[in-house]
Amino acid sequence: MVIQNIKLALGSMKGGKMRTVLSLLGIIIGVASVVTILTLGNSATGSITDSITSSGYDLIYLSPAFGSKTRETFDESFAERLRKNVDGIGLVMPTVSGNARVRNGSIVTSTSIMGVNSDYAANMDYKESYGSWFGVEDNIFKRQVVVLGSDIAEKLFPGGNAVGNYITIFRDQGKKYLVVAVMEAKDASLGASFNSTVYIPYNTYTQRFQRVSGVGTYIIKVAENHDPKVVNADATKYLDDLVGTDNYMIISSASLAEMVSSVTGTLSIFLAAIGGISLLVGGIGIMNIMLVSVAERTKEIGIRKALGASPRVIRGQFLTEAITLTSFGGVVGIVIGIGLSKIVANIAGWGFAVSVNACLLSVGFSMAIGIFFGLYPAAKAAKMDPIDSLNYE
Amino acid sequence: MDKIDWEEVARRIDSRDLPIIYMEDVHRYYIVGDIVVKALDGVSVKIYKGDFTAIMGPSGSGKSTLMNLVGCLDTPTSGKILIDGEDTRGLNETELAYIRNRKIGFVFQQFNLLGKITALENVMTPLLYTGGISAHERRERAEQALEKVGLADRMKHLPNELSGGQKQRVAIARALVTRPSIILADEPTGALDTKTGEQIMELFYSLNKEGNTIVVVTHNDEIGNACPNQIRIRDGKREA
Repeated sequence: MVIQNIKLALGSMKGGKMRTVLSLLGIIIGVASVVTILTLGNSATGSITDSITSSGYDLIYLSPAFGSKTRETFDESFAERLRKNVDGIGLVMPTVSGNARVRNGSIVTSTSIMGVNSDYAANMDYKESYGSWFGVEDNIFKRQVVVLGSDIAEKLFPGGNAVGNYITIFRDQGKKYLVVAVMEAKDASLGASFNSTVYIPYNTYTQRFQRVSGVGTYIIKVAENHDPKVVNADATKYLDDLVGTDNYMIISSASLAEMVSSVTGTLSIFLAAIGGISLLVGGIGIMNIMLVSVAERTKEIGIRKALGASPRVIRGQFLTEAITLTSFGGVVGIVIGIGLSKIVANIAGWGFAVSVNACLLSVGFSMAIGIFFGLYPAAKAAKMDPIDSLNYE
Repeated sequence: MDKIDWEEVARRIDSRDLPIIYMEDVHRYYIVGDIVVKALDGVSVKIYKGDFTAIMGPSGSGKSTLMNLVGCLDTPTSGKILIDGEDTRGLNETELAYIRNRKIGFVFQQFNLLGKITALENVMTPLLYTGGISAHERRERAEQALEKVGLADRMKHLPNELSGGQKQRVAIARALVTRPSIILADEPTGALDTKTGEQIMELFYSLNKEGNTIVVVTHNDEIGNACPNQIRIRDGKREA
């Protein structure tokens, strides 16, 4: 009986193709927008949080404010104090950074310079494509060596072969630095646009470029088995007591990633709700077309009743028709929605991840709309008087 | 109330001891505004199994009301109706639909075929409502019914591809397919030319010879008088 009803429904949909499409437009647009929004929301959130956490979910960035008071607190021994007072602090990497003009032959450009220790690359999951990162002794002896991010290497050495050559960094004096490594490309992350940065040993930086010593940013790795968010909160409390809220800035990749997901999540839900309203409006369109269909087919209903169709059977027939109609709209909407989000994701350069939940939700929702808005017309058909409907012309 | 012995009832109906259609002092009133329209005003009828009966009367006589009551499309205001032993008083829509499906085969003046499906599918439709009959058996029985009315070669045609006479044959096949107790035909020749009408009546005669109980409702004396039995209705009452 159900199969028969679906056949009948498909038959009457085929019988009025234009009408079917028009009446389904609301559902199709609604489902397509819900699927697109939720899928794109997923992709965008994934892409943003990926880049935030590309160096690890367990990083905390601590930047002291400028000033003589903070300079006393945030010296190179601060790491030990922090570790003693806050639970779950793993590695602490002091970094310093600034901007400078760099030159290779006739090519001159301005870029960011970062002074870091020899273990920086390994801890940030940052890999060399040529050469190898400077060693401990380079830092101790303040050697004039540099590591280039992929973009800056490309810019200064368009022909490649940067490793083994020298570049000049203009800051105080124009000293020459030996390029020891060129890094693989890496997505920009919190406080670091890897690809356009020139890295030099920390001690070289403080000796050559800093008049007053002081750490720029501590990159803190949370110890294993500790929740980055808890460590972040504990560190914040400790620092508030130590120097006051206004004298430092702390960001953890975990809390930032969470914040971004929650913002995009809220936005997605809000937009999907608007799509949902379109579905509701579409549902009213379905009810309208079903009422028209029932009225038009009064005679058919009369004939079927005379042949022995009970009210329940008639109701089932029209309800099935409404559900088939809306489910069809739902499937078409999903296909359009997936296609649309694939196009947008490609243009925006986001990873593409179909939201299966959104698809199931949309089909479920459109079927529910079919049932909800089909029930009244179907009940109306079921209640028709057999004699009156048989005599209807 | 005594328990009804349905086997005994069926045996007595088969042996024409009990009527297959039994109406006793049936009234059917309609209220239109403030006026009570007495469409049927105390009619009693007995039709036995294997009968071929014409219900005759001019338009407005109440014959259509009578047909609706016999066909279980309607229930009486008062009086008793037994269809194949079954009392239709107080039955709800679903129960009436059940009796229509199993005991009545309708044939209408305007054929009333479903336009978007083939002749074969039209004939299969009542069996769908009977329930519990496989698609294969529905098809087989519908094919047999169409062969019986001489339309074996028109099964896959849509109604609008058939002539009036052929449409009425499809309708008769659809009435036969459930093996009903009664075939109830409402002006079956009314929309056909004389020659085709005669052919349809001949089909009814031959179906009657095979044992089918046939009731033809008509205002046409020629058609009615050609039937072996007549019931005449005028102003909601039976004429002597």
